[in-house]
Amino acid sequence: MNKLLNWFDDRTGIRELMHEALFERIPGGARWRYVWGSTLVFTFSIQVITGLFLWTAYSPSAQTAWESVYYIQDVMYMGNIVRGIHHYSSSIMVVLMAIHLMQVIIDGAYKAPREINFWLGLILLQIVLALSLTGYLLPWDQKGYYATQVSTKIMGATPIIGPQLQELVQGGPEYGHHTLTRFFAMHAGVLPGLLMLFLGLHIYIFRRHGITTPDPDRAPETTFWPDQVLKDAVACLGVLAVILGLAIGFGAELSGPANPSEAYSAARPEWYFLFLFRFLRFETVEHIGLAFGAIYVPGALMGIITLMPIIAWWKGDGGHKFNLYFMWAIAIGVAVLTGMAFYEDGKDVGHQTAIAEANRDAERVRELAKRLSKIPIEGAGSLLRDDPFTQGPRIFAKYCASCHRYNGHNGRGRMVMEQLKENDKNGKEVSRAVASIPTGADLGNFGGEGWWKSLLMDYENHVGGFTKIEDSEMAAWSKDSRKAMQDPKNADDVKAIYEYLASLSGRTDREFDDKQVERGRQIAAGEEFITAGEFASCTDCHGTLGEKFEATGEGFGPPDIADYGSKQWLTAFILDPGSDQFYGEENTMQVFKGKISDRDLDLLVRWMTGDYYPTEVEDYESKVNELEEALKARKGK
Amino acid sequence: MDSASPDSTPIESPAERADATTAFEPPRRGFFVKFLAGALGIIVGVVPFVTGLLFFLDPLIRDGKATPKGQEGNNPEGVEKDEDGFVNLNVTIDALPADGTPQSVKVHDDKVDAWNKFLNVEVGTVWLLRNKDGVTAFNTVCPHLGCSVDYRQWKSDFYCPCHQSTFDLNGDKLNPTPPRSMDQLEVKVKDGKNVWLKFQNFRGATSEKIAIS
Repeated sequence: MNKLLNWFDDRTGIRELMHEALFERIPGGARWRYVWGSTLVFTFSIQVITGLFLWTAYSPSAQTAWESVYYIQDVMYMGNIVRGIHHYSSSIMVVLMAIHLMQVIIDGAYKAPREINFWLGLILLQIVLALSLTGYLLPWDQKGYYATQVSTKIMGATPIIGPQLQELVQGGPEYGHHTLTRFFAMHAGVLPGLLMLFLGLHIYIFRRHGITTPDPDRAPETTFWPDQVLKDAVACLGVLAVILGLAIGFGAELSGPANPSEAYSAARPEWYFLFLFRFLRFETVEHIGLAFGAIYVPGALMGIITLMPIIAWWKGDGGHKFNLYFMWAIAIGVAVLTGMAFYEDGKDVGHQTAIAEANRDAERVRELAKRLSKIPIEGAGSLLRDDPFTQGPRIFAKYCASCHRYNGHNGRGRMVMEQLKENDKNGKEVSRAVASIPTGADLGNFGGEGWWKSLLMDYENHVGGFTKIEDSEMAAWSKDSRKAMQDPKNADDVKAIYEYLASLSGRTDREFDDKQVERGRQIAAGEEFITAGEFASCTDCHGTLGEKFEATGEGFGPPDIADYGSKQWLTAFILDPGSDQFYGEENTMQVFKGKISDRDLDLLVRWMTGDYYPTEVEDYESKVNELEEALKARKGK
Repeated sequence: MDSASPDSTPIESPAERADATTAFEPPRRGFFVKFLAGALGIIVGVVPFVTGLLFFLDPLIRDGKATPKGQEGNNPEGVEKDEDGFVNLNVTIDALPADGTPQSVKVHDDKVDAWNKFLNVEVGTVWLLRNKDGVTAFNTVCPHLGCSVDYRQWKSDFYCPCHQSTFDLNGDKLNPTPPRSMDQLEVKVKDGKNVWLKFQNFRGATSEKIAIS
């Protein structure tokens, strides 16, 4: 063994190299404060290892990037862990880098003769930030897509060369295949290559000057191996534990596939860029211009940091003190801005509902992609585009929510608000945002048992939402029959009636009790009487009931309720609620014929009638109570 | 090296530094510290690597479970397939030459490829031969090393141009190059005329016929 080593050493000089590498002198003994550089090298190694493995499964193109990442995340063995490690390591790396930089400034390790190494470190910092920026886009999900749009737009605001620079980075005037291939080449090739080069130089120069020891007489001199290695290894183990904990505990996020036509109002950059994001949102900064806030100011700050070694030449300790204050000022500024961004987003209802919608889409598309039919060749975007559960709420919000509500909200989980102009005490006109008063029924449980219950028992409050409809025959029926319906002796009959009416929809996503349906039908059709009290049957007014669906009325009012709540019924109703088949001349609802596309109508109706791939995704929270409170408050004022 | 006053830090020449390094005797440390440092160093390196490696071994580990559980979506554009896995070749028996001349026919199937499912795409080619029992089908993939087997009309045999494997029209091998005879595929003739086929590929270079699932 020794002979072999000698043979090898004669030819390579490996012993001297190892000696040089391991037995670096550390005056004052091994210390915990020296571990940061090593933990950075370690996290970079993790990124290289996991990055190469992820590379074996990633496919950079607009139709396969999200899809391959989904496959890594949800299907491949350990994929979520590997991606989680890669994702969180990037965050940890930024944190460690900030610590390392601050440590270097505090200990004065940037001062002569170490200026060049300090600058090399700053270059490494830029490379790492560029790595995280390019990596953020690669999953091609909504979050990365919209956040990176901001970055490239900022690039486009660079003086003189902006537009050309942006186009070069994007590989064209807009995002597409080449944006991904270019970002990927940067992320997995150019930037890591540069990083390794500069890291080599950084470590070489570091070894040339030796470690900066604040207190060389603290302990007897030692060497890198094994004392400092042990401390470094323990620190790396700690870093690894944090990364694994985050990767396993939380996992890396994957939002819905990038879709340029689907606004993503929840877009935020990665958290360590939030301070910059928040800074750009100051009105004054916005007013001065994007180039000022996003390029000149950060550029000037980086410039001062770069000049720190030169500033330190200034009179004794004065320069160093200035650097220290400057560093703490930036650190506090960054911390405050980051905190502000988090705090403001936390109480921004709009942002929270946008996140809820983004999560709903993300979970849904992954649910759809897991079907045996998998993802169509045109990409996962089409899964959401053609999905009633995803599109229905959006179409509802667009066409229906000016009058109707869906469990109190606009279909997409948001309250419907309007501006109310009033005069205050001094007669000055002021406006405030208040909840809009719904003038149509809440369609959250359309066609179900709850729907029928509220419709039959309380018609005057049901149909108009929060607007009473008193002048109506059905409201009169509701008033007359309420007593009989509330009679405990009729409880079973009433349940049967609801069941029967709900069954008219013929929905396959719900189950109906045949016996109850039959009993309900007999009462509704007037073939049998209700157990106790007076009750006018449905067919007394409504022409068709459970028969084939056709127009019978002459525009005098009582709508057809055959197949009520079915796709066919609802489609016909929305297109023309004022036809003879429905409300006729008494109709107050908007006629949608010619105002809504066939495709939108189909998606809307399928969503409202439960005709879509069954889902386990949690729907938006009900806002019925919130709406009631808000309307009370509105009246109260 | 007093960090508070940079001017006092001497700039060492490389020669001085090299001298200092070689002249310095590293302190002797107990085995335990060395062992711990080494072991921890290895652990922190191995954990990410092994995690990545397991991920890379996904095709072997997840073998046979390639499709996650979930309900089948409707595929009206998918290929016509019966419960035994036979696909409709859209060829009638009458369209094949009565004298048994082989005809090459492209096979269409729905193909799962990682996250995609391609509907009705070409998955391979077969030689169809009409005979008195009905129809015989051979996969055109050579059982030797996977080139495509041609039909030579002037010799009335099957011939692979890559390594000169030769087979007769029954698919039996005529020289020692191929390890086995041509891979015959199961055929059904439905309604007395429509040819359906169970398409399979087989492992190359083995004397046994082993299906690739």
